[in-house]
Amino acid sequence: MKLAQRKVGSNIVLEVLENRLGADKAVAFKDAVGRHLAAGPVSLVLDLSKVEFIDSSGLGAILSILKRMPKGCELILCGTTDPVTSMFKLTRLDRVFTMKKTVDEAVSALSL
Amino acid sequence: MKAMILAAGKGTRVRPITHVLPKPMIPLVRKPVMEFLVEHLKAHGIKQIMVNTSHLAPVIEEYFRDGDRFGVQMAYSFEGDLIGGQIEGKAIGSAGGMKKIQDFSGFFDETFVVLCGDALVDVDFAEVLRFHRERKSIATLVLRDVPPDEVSKYGVVQTDASGRIVRFQEKPTRDQAVSSTINTGIYVFEPEIFQYIPSGVEFDIGGQLLPEMVRNGQSIYGVTLPFAWLDIGSVPDYWEATSLLLRGKVAGFTMPGNELRPGVHCGINVQIAWDRVHIEGPVYIGSSTSVGDGATIIGPTVIGSGCVIQPGAELRECILADYTRISSVAALEQKLIFGSKCIDPSGRYLDIEESQIRWLVDDARNKEELSESELLLFEEVKNLPVS
Repeated sequence: MKLAQRKVGSNIVLEVLENRLGADKAVAFKDAVGRHLAAGPVSLVLDLSKVEFIDSSGLGAILSILKRMPKGCELILCGTTDPVTSMFKLTRLDRVFTMKKTVDEAVSALSL
Repeated sequence: MKAMILAAGKGTRVRPITHVLPKPMIPLVRKPVMEFLVEHLKAHGIKQIMVNTSHLAPVIEEYFRDGDRFGVQMAYSFEGDLIGGQIEGKAIGSAGGMKKIQDFSGFFDETFVVLCGDALVDVDFAEVLRFHRERKSIATLVLRDVPPDEVSKYGVVQTDASGRIVRFQEKPTRDQAVSSTINTGIYVFEPEIFQYIPSGVEFDIGGQLLPEMVRNGQSIYGVTLPFAWLDIGSVPDYWEATSLLLRGKVAGFTMPGNELRPGVHCGINVQIAWDRVHIEGPVYIGSSTSVGDGATIIGPTVIGSGCVIQPGAELRECILADYTRISSVAALEQKLIFGSKCIDPSGRYLDIEESQIRWLVDDARNKEELSESELLLFEEVKNLPVS
C-alpha cells in the first residue's frame, strides 16, 4: 500500500499512490492510514487523485477511517476522479464526507 | 415497394449496451428503434423489408421474425458464420450487404429505400420519391443541415441548385468541411446502382459506392427536407434521444402506457402508493414494477418492466433496463443501468460486479447472497445520518 505523506501545519496530507482501491488493498490501506492517527489527534486530507477504481471494500475502508477520527479532528477527501466520485454519489457517501476538488482547497477548509 | 434496413453494424460507440443488444434493438422508451422504422415504412406502403444482420443477429431476427406481427414482410441476410455453436459476425459493409442480397435473388428489381437501423426517422418518403422520380435519379440521398461543430461525425455533401451532389467528404474537420449539410444514411436507389458494387467484398455506400458512381459520371441527388432524426450512434446520442422523446420534443411520438399522474406514464400491474412517493415527470414506469414508499423519481426517467425501486431510493434522470433493483440507500443521477453496467451519459461505466455494488444496483431476479464487504457497507450506509 503506497501512501505519500506530508505535514501541513499540524495536519497531514496523505496521497494514495495506488491506481485501484479494491478488496485486495482495503485492509492494508486502513492500517496504513490508521498508523497516522495512532500518534495523536490530527486532521487528515486524503488525496485520491491517483485512484481510478474503487469498490465497496475501498469505500468501506474510507468510511472506517472516518469513524476512527479523533474528536475535533477532520477527514477531508479531495481530488476524486470521475469513477470514484460516481461511487460516492451512488452510495450517498458524498453527503457524509467533506469532499474538495484539490489538495489546496481541502487544506484551507481544514484551517478554517 | 421494397426497403433495406442496415442492421449489421457492431455499435462500438454504444458500448457497453451493444455487448448484449445490437444497435437497432436499443429501446427508445420501450420500443426498439428499428420497430419505429418498420412502422414508418409500413405507413408509407413499403412492406417488403430486407434486413442485413451480423453482430447479435438472432436478437433482431427473433424479435421481428417474418414481420407478420408488424403488418409487413421481413427477411434477413446474415453476414457471418456459426463457429462452434457461436454466431460470429462478419459484416461486409452497407453496399456489400445489398449486393449480397441482389446476387442471391435479384430482390431489388424496382426503386427501393435504404435506411440505417440505428436512427429514428420520420422522413416523408412520398416527398423523397417524388424528388427522386422528377430528376430521374438512380441514387437520391436524404440530407440534413447540422450545426457546424457536428459535421465531423458525418459524411458531408455539397449540392448545386438542382440538388445534384457535386462533392462528398467523409467525416471532415469543421474547418475542412465544404458545407454543414450531411448524409443521413437514408437513400432511394434504382437497381442500376448494383453495377458499381463488386460482389463478395466489403463495400460501403457513403465511402465507396457513391464516389464510384460519381467517378463514372452518374448524377447523384440530395434532398433536404424537415423530419425528426434521432441518431443513437453513441451513448450521448442515445441519452439525448431518450430525453427528447420523454420531454415531448419529437412530433408523432406517443408515450406508451397510461398517464396515471400528470407526466407519469405507467404500464400495467404497477405497485405504487402515489401519496407516499415523490415523482416529477416526465417519467415512464414499466409494467410489473414496484416503487417503494419514500422513493424519489425525477424525470426524464424511464424505468423498465419488472423493476424493484426500494423504499427511499433516489433516481434522477435515469434509464433502467428491465428487472433492475435499486436499493433503498442508492442515489442514481444520470445513470443508465444496462447489462450489469452502470453507465454515464458520456459512455463511461462501472461494472456492477467488479465494483461490488450489487447492494445498490442489481438484477431484481438475482438471489445470490451479497459478499461480506458489500453487506457490511450496506448496513453502515443504511445507518448513517445523511444530510
